[in-house]
Amino acid sequence: MEAEVAIVGAGAAGGILALELARRGIRVVVLESGPRHDFARRPEYVRRYVRGESPWATPLPGLDRYTVGGPVPYQLGGRRARGVGGSTLHWEGHALRLHANDFRLKSLYGIADDWPISYQDLDGYYAEAERMLGVAGVADEPWAAPRSAPFPLPPFSFSYSDGLFTRACQPLGIALHHLPQARNSVAYAGRPQCRACGTCQVCPTGAKASVDLTHVPQAEATGYAQVVTEATVLRLELDRSGGVSAAVYAKPDKVQHRLNARVFVLAGGAVENARLLLLSASREFPGGLANRSGLVGKFFMSHPSIDLTGRARENVYPYRIGFSTAMSRQFAIERDRATHGAFLLEFLNSAGPTPERIAGASGQWGEALRTRVREEFGHWLGIRVYAEQLPDRINTISLNANVRDYFGSPAPHIHYIVGKYERKALDDAKEVAQKILMAMGLTDVRSTGLSFAAHQIGTHRMGTDPGTSVVDVALKAHDVPNLYLVGSGCFVTASASPPTLTIAALAVRAAEHIAARLRPASRGDSTAHPAA
Amino acid sequence: MTLTRRSLILGVAAALGFNPSGVLRSPGGRAHAAATASAQLAAEPAAAALSRSQLEDLVAFAEVLVGDGPLSPVEREYLVDHIERRTTQGGGYYLELYRTTAGLLDSLAGARFSSLDLAQRGALITRHRLFSSAVRPEENLGPFPKKAREVRTRAVPDLIGGYYASPAGWAVVGYGAFPGKCGDLARYTSPER
Ligand SMILES: Cc1cc2nc3c(=O)[nH]c(=O)nc-3n(C[C@H](O)[C@H](O)[C@H](O)COP(=O)(O)OP(=O)(O)OC[C@H]3O[C@@H](n4cnc5c(N)ncnc54)[C@H](O)[C@@H]3O)c2cc1C
Ligand code: SF4
Repeated sequence: MEAEVAIVGAGAAGGILALELARRGIRVVVLESGPRHDFARRPEYVRRYVRGESPWATPLPGLDRYTVGGPVPYQLGGRRARGVGGSTLHWEGHALRLHANDFRLKSLYGIADDWPISYQDLDGYYAEAERMLGVAGVADEPWAAPRSAPFPLPPFSFSYSDGLFTRACQPLGIALHHLPQARNSVAYAGRPQCRACGTCQVCPTGAKASVDLTHVPQAEATGYAQVVTEATVLRLELDRSGGVSAAVYAKPDKVQHRLNARVFVLAGGAVENARLLLLSASREFPGGLANRSGLVGKFFMSHPSIDLTGRARENVYPYRIGFSTAMSRQFAIERDRATHGAFLLEFLNSAGPTPERIAGASGQWGEALRTRVREEFGHWLGIRVYAEQLPDRINTISLNANVRDYFGSPAPHIHYIVGKYERKALDDAKEVAQKILMAMGLTDVRSTGLSFAAHQIGTHRMGTDPGTSVVDVALKAHDVPNLYLVGSGCFVTASASPPTLTIAALAVRAAEHIAARLRPASRGDSTAHPAA
Repeated sequence: MTLTRRSLILGVAAALGFNPSGVLRSPGGRAHAAATASAQLAAEPAAAALSRSQLEDLVAFAEVLVGDGPLSPVEREYLVDHIERRTTQGGGYYLELYRTTAGLLDSLAGARFSSLDLAQRGALITRHRLFSSAVRPEENLGPFPKKAREVRTRAVPDLIGGYYASPAGWAVVGYGAFPGKCGDLARYTSPER
């Protein structure tokens, strides 16, 4: 099989890139390890999801095997998905731009590193990503970096409990604002308005944007993109000139195939991109493909997270919408980040036990049980905190040769710590959140243990110096002329905000570079933009 | 004649004098019907993992555990749905557990448990503490201690959980729409009416 561009992975980055290239008339083949999930099956998936099953679970046994080490086990289970759509199949759809300051930690605060690009460089790409995904929001965040285009969709209204939070936060000098959503507040781009089904990790209506709906079919419709499903890339092979010549992939029957192309793009997520590079070690690259810097797999980051909850006397009506509508980025921006780590606050629309949980814990039966459920339900409010994690070389994705996946490849091994900087940020965040909950008169205020967002970041960082980074500003590997690495693996720092809108913006930008390289004469588009 | 699961439920409901087309009751609006679960049905269910009488026993047991009166046909359907799903997806574990449960209930009742009226079932469950999933170490578990322990620690929380996770459980707290059931987008912005 041959293509102009071979893309590994049909998730956020790969799906977007496929459309951006195909609409320019570039022949793309996407190799996707997971299946194509038929949208018609979503109602059944929802039923499974509410029963606690994951409909996105990988069907091939052992394919998602991984091991953890280090003092804090970062678990990947449930924190990524394989299939056309990738992890956007079950993402929450919170679609935030990074702040301008997030790109300049070194210059502004003397910590970590600066990105080699600025917020201004990405602004237009952010706008394009927001347009394609259909982001609902309003520019009411006092700290937001300036935007050149408004949100394409109006915001979701604040919830009833957001109103309670707002009243408590105002006297404390804390401002709430809308949380930008990649979901339809009104019908948009052929997808319906959100219908409050409350299972956003499996959206039955398609109101939540996921690239299996927003990008991949549109790419295929151009006639220039082909998606091969259940095709897991095992390694990349080099030609004599030092470029990648083929992606070797296998279907579930384990028979190996080759895909040749002029340009190769890894879009498998931060963990799998690093792993695939390490699995592609060769004579030229004994430490892993594109790894002359020795930094492939290094500087792995996520967002350490905790929830704080408290009990209200009155009913606060949780579980009526599947996502949060209010947040505050005040503490992610307005601080001296040299000493005070950034964190953001997400005001939860669903906290506390469900009727099932109350019933299970009550020890009651009959009429007393029914009364208990009725009285106990609906009294909990919660705030979720996400903290910025600084890049630390010790946080690493490597290969574990003792543990093999379905295809016999070494599994990824995650070594992970959460440092003092992040722990202090979480302590600060706890204090702020507790203050808010206490101001609301809540009792039984408590915090969960340390957890992590389903955001995997770092592992092939971007930079101008091949000695200290893996990819350049166009996301091309420094060491390999026709290899691009996209996704949050190329982030230099993590910010406190979720990564996917930035992944999308960077994918749009990388597509522009690849297209210019393959079609130097005509830099423009050859087909109209599908969502235009 | 082959019956579907739905016709089984409606059959039970009709035999109990309920209106089978009745939708989920509101939390306040309880159905008051003669309370015997001993419906005689025309045929065996299509999915014969559990016998009809075992299924009826389980529903009759759950009916006492989860509420304060007879369940509506729709609520029964949720319970049957839960039991069926467990038996088809639980790898044999739940099938065994449910059979044990029905067997114990029949033994303790000296008759088909589901033939007892609600008050009689309640009295039996109270007498044998079959409502409580917590078993004290020194507790006398009656004539069938192993089975009683199994039923109390496994079947009781399972049946209660199955009911309260269903739309019936959400209806108890006044929710007609809840995670998994779409509704009105504006609803989340104000208190529940
Ligand atoms: C539950 C959950 C909630 C989330 N919520 C949010 C949120 O609200 N906001 C936000 O910004 N982010 C969120 N995220 C994160 C977001 O989903 C990811 O950041 C984003 O999808 C990453 O994009 P990606 O293209 O790099 O990887 P993915 O979307 O994960 O796609 C990678 C694809 O590559 C495929 N692949 C991997 N290896 C191979 C191989 N060897 N061969 C072939 N194919 C391969 C995989 O099967 C997968 O389909 C959430 C994630 C989860 C799991
Ligand atoms: S609330 Fe429902 S319709 Fe809206 S995005 Fe979530 S799952 Fe989809």
